[in-house]
Amino acid sequence: MVASRSVRLAAWHFRRSFASSLGLGLVAVIVLLALAGPWIVPYPDDVAGKVNLADKLLPPSKAHWFGTDEVGNDILTRVIVGARLSLLVGIGITLAAAAIGVPLGILAGTAGGKVREAIMRVTDLFLSVPGLVLAIALVAALGPGIVNAMIALVLVWWPGYVRLAESKALSIRGEPFIEAARVAGAPGLRILWRHVLPNSLSPIIVKMSMDIGQAILAVASLGFIGLGAKPPTPEWGAMISIARGYLPDWWWYAICPGAFIYASVLGFNLLGDGLRDILDPRSHRG
Amino acid sequence: MTTNRRAFLHGAAALSALAPGLSWAFDKDGNRKIMVFSGNQAVPVLDPHIRYDWSTRMMQQSVYDALLKYVGAPPKIVPWLAEKWEESADGLTYTFHLAGNAKFHNGDPVDAEAVRYSFERGLKLNAGIAWMLKDFLKPENIKVVDPKTVTFTLDKPFQPFIAYVPWWYIVNPKQVAANTVDNDYGKKWLTENEAGSGPFKLKRFDANALIHLDAVPDYWKGWPMGEQNRLSGVIYRIVREAAPRRAGLQRREMDVITNMSPDDMAQLAKLPGVRNEDHPGSTTFGIKFNCQSGPTADINLRKAIAYAFDYEALIAIHNGGARLMDSPFPPDMAGHIAVPDMPRKNLDKAKEYLAKSKVPNGDIELEYVHVQGLEDARRIGLVLLDSLRPLNIKVNIVGQPWTTMVARGAKPDTCPNMISVYVTPVATDPDTVAYQYHRDSWGLYYGMSHYENAEVWKMIGEARGMTDKDKRMALYGEIQKRIVADQPEVFGMIPNRTWSMRDYVKGFSFSPIWFTGEVDFYPMWIEA
Amino acid sequence: MFAYLLRRFALAGLMLFGLICLTFVIANVAPSDPAVLAAGPDAGKAQIEQARREYGLDKPLPVQFLRYVGDLARGDFGRSIATGRPVGSDLARYFPATLELCIVAMTIGLVVGISLGMLSALFKDQWLDHLTRIFAVSGIALPPFWFGLLLQLGFAVWLGWLPTSGRIGVSTDPGDPITGMLLVDALLRGDGALFWQGLSYIVLPALVLSLPCLASILRVNRSEMVEALRADYITSARAHGVSRWRLVTVHALKNAMIPTLAIIGLRWGWMMSSTVLVETVFDWPGIGLYAVSSAIAGDFKPVMGVTLIVGLNFMLVNLVVDLLYGVLDPRLRDA
Repeated sequence: MVASRSVRLAAWHFRRSFASSLGLGLVAVIVLLALAGPWIVPYPDDVAGKVNLADKLLPPSKAHWFGTDEVGNDILTRVIVGARLSLLVGIGITLAAAAIGVPLGILAGTAGGKVREAIMRVTDLFLSVPGLVLAIALVAALGPGIVNAMIALVLVWWPGYVRLAESKALSIRGEPFIEAARVAGAPGLRILWRHVLPNSLSPIIVKMSMDIGQAILAVASLGFIGLGAKPPTPEWGAMISIARGYLPDWWWYAICPGAFIYASVLGFNLLGDGLRDILDPRSHRG
Repeated sequence: MTTNRRAFLHGAAALSALAPGLSWAFDKDGNRKIMVFSGNQAVPVLDPHIRYDWSTRMMQQSVYDALLKYVGAPPKIVPWLAEKWEESADGLTYTFHLAGNAKFHNGDPVDAEAVRYSFERGLKLNAGIAWMLKDFLKPENIKVVDPKTVTFTLDKPFQPFIAYVPWWYIVNPKQVAANTVDNDYGKKWLTENEAGSGPFKLKRFDANALIHLDAVPDYWKGWPMGEQNRLSGVIYRIVREAAPRRAGLQRREMDVITNMSPDDMAQLAKLPGVRNEDHPGSTTFGIKFNCQSGPTADINLRKAIAYAFDYEALIAIHNGGARLMDSPFPPDMAGHIAVPDMPRKNLDKAKEYLAKSKVPNGDIELEYVHVQGLEDARRIGLVLLDSLRPLNIKVNIVGQPWTTMVARGAKPDTCPNMISVYVTPVATDPDTVAYQYHRDSWGLYYGMSHYENAEVWKMIGEARGMTDKDKRMALYGEIQKRIVADQPEVFGMIPNRTWSMRDYVKGFSFSPIWFTGEVDFYPMWIEA
Repeated sequence: MFAYLLRRFALAGLMLFGLICLTFVIANVAPSDPAVLAAGPDAGKAQIEQARREYGLDKPLPVQFLRYVGDLARGDFGRSIATGRPVGSDLARYFPATLELCIVAMTIGLVVGISLGMLSALFKDQWLDHLTRIFAVSGIALPPFWFGLLLQLGFAVWLGWLPTSGRIGVSTDPGDPITGMLLVDALLRGDGALFWQGLSYIVLPALVLSLPCLASILRVNRSEMVEALRADYITSARAHGVSRWRLVTVHALKNAMIPTLAIIGLRWGWMMSSTVLVETVFDWPGIGLYAVSSAIAGDFKPVMGVTLIVGLNFMLVNLVVDLLYGVLDPRLRDA
C-alpha cells in the first residue's frame, strides 16, 4: 500500500529529527490542553470572571503554581483554558486566509493576462502594508474583540497565499500533463480542480502549519496592545499586557502566558519544518 | 521587596559606570536646585485658551496668572492678579481691582486691558475653557474702567461665575499681537510659547518628552519659601510607563512622580527617603445607565443592579485609597449632603427590585463600556460581571476609544446599557456637577445616562441663578436626593490622588479642585 | 534599465495611492466621533460642532478624501485630533528614533546572523550547529513583547546592567536634534558620554527587534555556506591549499550575499511594522508607539500617517534592493 508506506516514511522522518518530534510533541500538548482544558484546570470558576480580591497577586505556591492575577484568579488555570481560544483563532485565521488566497492565486497563475495583473497588484499592495500596523488600525476602528481581531488578521494574511499559489500554478501550468489535459478538451475549472490544486497542495500545507503559529503570535500581539479578546475571556497576549503593569514586583504574572505562546508558536514552526522535509523536500530552506 | 530595591540601586551604579562622566545635567544651577517632576501625560498645547487637562494646566498655572486662584483643601478662592472684587446686588456685574504691580515676563505691566483681551480671546476661540462662560458673557460686555479696574457684565445671573474665573489665565496682548498670523489670535505661536506673568517662564518645550521651566527671580508676588530657598526651575518629564518613573525616583533622578497604581504606591511607601502624598480627590467614578432605552430604562432594574454591586471591591481595588460616593456630588463641593439610603450591596433588596422589573428572572446580557486602556475601569467591569451573576444577568465588557464611546453615548438608541465614566468637576460650585443631570447635557460624555426628570431639571435651572446662598444650597440638597432616588447611575467611588516624592521636597500642597496628578509648583522647594 | 526603473516607480506610485485609499477607508469605518476628542473634555455641543467644522469633519467623505489626498500631495499629513498638533511634524520627530532603532537592529541581525551562520556551517552537525538552529527557530517563535519584558527583568531590574526603557536618561539633556538620531547626533557633537548612554538604551530593544531577521539571515547563510563548502570549485580550491576559513569568509560569503540582500528587503518593512510592539514594550519614542497610542485613542490621522510612512519606506527599500540585485546579478535586469 502506497499510503501506509508514506505514513511510515513520515514517521521515520519525524523520529529521526529531534526538532520535528519536539514540534509534534508541543503541538500535541497544546491541542490536548485545548480539548481538555476546562476539565483539568484546578480553578474552573476563574475562567468566567470570578472576582476574589482577597487572593489578588499571590506569588507562586502549591495552591497556585504560577500565582494569581490582579482579581485573584489562578494564572495557570486561565492560561490553560486560553489555549483553546488561541488554537481556534490561529487555525481559523490560517484557514480563512488560505481559503481566500489560494483560489485567487491559482486563478492568477492559470488565467494570466489582465486577471493576473489585477490580482497580483492588489496582493502587492497588501503585502507592502505594514501588517501589524494595518491590523491595529483595523481593530481600533472596528472595536476590540476576538472576531474583529481575526478579521483584521485575515485581511493582512491572505496575500501570502496568493503569492505562493500563483507561483506554484505558474510552474505547473507549463507541465506536459496540463497541456495534455487541455488538449484532451478538459474544461478550465476541471483542470484547476483536478490538476493544479493537488499539485500545489504540499507547500500550501507546509505554509499553513507554520502560519498557525504566527497567527497565534499575531493575535497575542493585538491582545498585548489591548485590542484582543474582551475580558474575562482568557487570552495570552491580553494577560501579558496586564501583567506588564505589575512588573517588576509581581514578575511571575507575565511568565506563564508568554511561555505558552512561545511553546505553541515554536511547536507549529518546527512541525512545519518537519512537514516540509517530508512533503516538499526540494524546496529551499531559508 | 528588598531584593528589587537593591537591584535598582545596583542598576543606578552600573548605569553611571557605563556612562562615564555623565553629569546630572539638569540637577543644579549654581546653588539653586531644579526639581524634576514626572508623569505619564504629554502637554501637546500650552495655550491656556485652547486646551486643559491635568498636565497641561499644571504648566499653564506655572507660567500664567489668573485674576483669582484656587488653593488648599477644601478649596478656597484667593485673590491673585485681582486684589479684590465686588458683585453687584443683581448678580450681573462683577468688578475686579488689579494688584497693579504684576508684570509679564517681558516686563510689560499686567493691566485691565490685558485681562479684557484674555477673556475675549478665550471666548472667541471657543475652545478649551470657553464653555464655562460663553452662555453668560459676551466679549463686548467686558469693560476697562481704568488700568487697574475691569468690569464684567453677565447676560443673566450666573452664580458659578467666580468659581470659573481662576481657570481664565491672562496673556500679554502685545506679545500675542506681535505673533499673530492670519488673525489666529496667536494660536499657533502660543502652542509652544508663553506670554504670561506667572512664577515660572518657559525655557524649553518638547511636548512629548520634557518641559523645562525657569523660576522668575523677581516674581511680582514674591516667593513663599524665601529667595534663598527658591528653586532654579522645574522640569516636567513625560515618561509613559510606571516602572521607569519608579526607578527614576529611587535613583533620585526624579524628585516627584505621579500616575502610579495603588499597588505600586504600596511598594513605594516602604522605601527609605521616599514620602507618599495620598489625598482624597474629587474625581467621581460612576457607571451610567442608559435611562431612555433598553432594559436599563426600567428603574427597577437599575435599582437591582445598584443593590447587587459590590461597592467594597472598589475600595479593595484601590488598596483602601478611595471613598465611596454618598451623593452625586463629591464631598468637597459646596452644598454636598450625604444622601440617606444610598444603595449598598444587599442581594435581597436587589432581588426584590429585579422581581418588580420587566425581567424578573434576569436572563439578559448588558453591555458595559469603558475607555480602552483604562485598567481600573476594566477591573471594575469584572467586579460588575461578578456582582450581577446572582441576578442571572450577564455583562459584556467592552473597551472602546473615547471617541467611539462618546459617539455611541450621544443618542439614547445607540447608547450602551452601562458606561463607566470618570468626571472631575472643574469648579467648586455645585452647578458644575448638578448641570450634568440637566436635559442640556444629554449626549455629552457626562450626560450619557440621558437622565429624565422634568422637576429636577427645573430645580437645576433655578439654582443656577439664585442669589440667596442658603436657599440655593438647600435646593441642591433636594436635587441630590432626587437624583439618587432615580438611580441614573451606579454611584461608585472617588479615588485618592497620589504622588510619591523624595522626602527633601518641601512646600507640597494639595487641593481637590486640581486634576489627578496636578500640583502647584509655586510654593515647592528642595531642602538642601 | 531606464524603462525598468520607470516601470518600478510608476508601480510604486500606484501602490502608494492604493495605500492612501486603504488607510482612509479604515479610518472611516469606525462609528466614532473624532470631533468630541478635538473639542476637549468638557466641551459643549456648540464647541464640538465648531471643532467638527475646523477639522473638516462635517464634509461628506468623498470631499474629505479629496482634501486628504490634496493635503498629502503638499506634504501635509493633517492634524491629530487628540492633540491638535500637525501629524507631519510629529512624524518628523518620531521617525528618526524608529529609523535609528531599525538600523541598529538590522546591523545586529547582519553581523550576528552572518557570523553564526558561518560558524554553524563550519561546525555542521556539531553541538554549536544544533544550538544555533534552536536559536534560529526561537527567533521567529519568541513573542517580542514577552521576550522584551524578560530582558528588562533580567538585564535592567535584576542584573542592573542596562536601563529599563526609554531612549535616554531622565536627567540627561539630549540637546537639540541635528539628524534626530541620538547616536548620530552624539557622534556629530563628539559627545562620547551621550553616545554610550544612548547605546545602553538602544541595545535591548534593538536586540528584540533583530531576532526574527537575525534568524532568517542565519539560516540562509548557513545553508549557502554548507552548499558552498561542498561545491566543486571549493574542493578544487582546497586542493590548491586555500584554507577552510578563507573559503568560508571570502568565497561562500559572496554567494550568500544575494539571498541575504533579499532577506533585508523582505524583513525591513516587517521590522518597521514590529516596532509597534517593541517600542510599546520599551517606551521608545518612535512612530510605532505613536501609532499604537493614537489608534487606542481613536485618533486616526497619526495612524494613517504612520502606515503611509512605513509603506513608503518598505517600497523604497525594495526598490533599492531590486536595483542592487541588478548590479550584483545582471541576468535579473531584464526579468
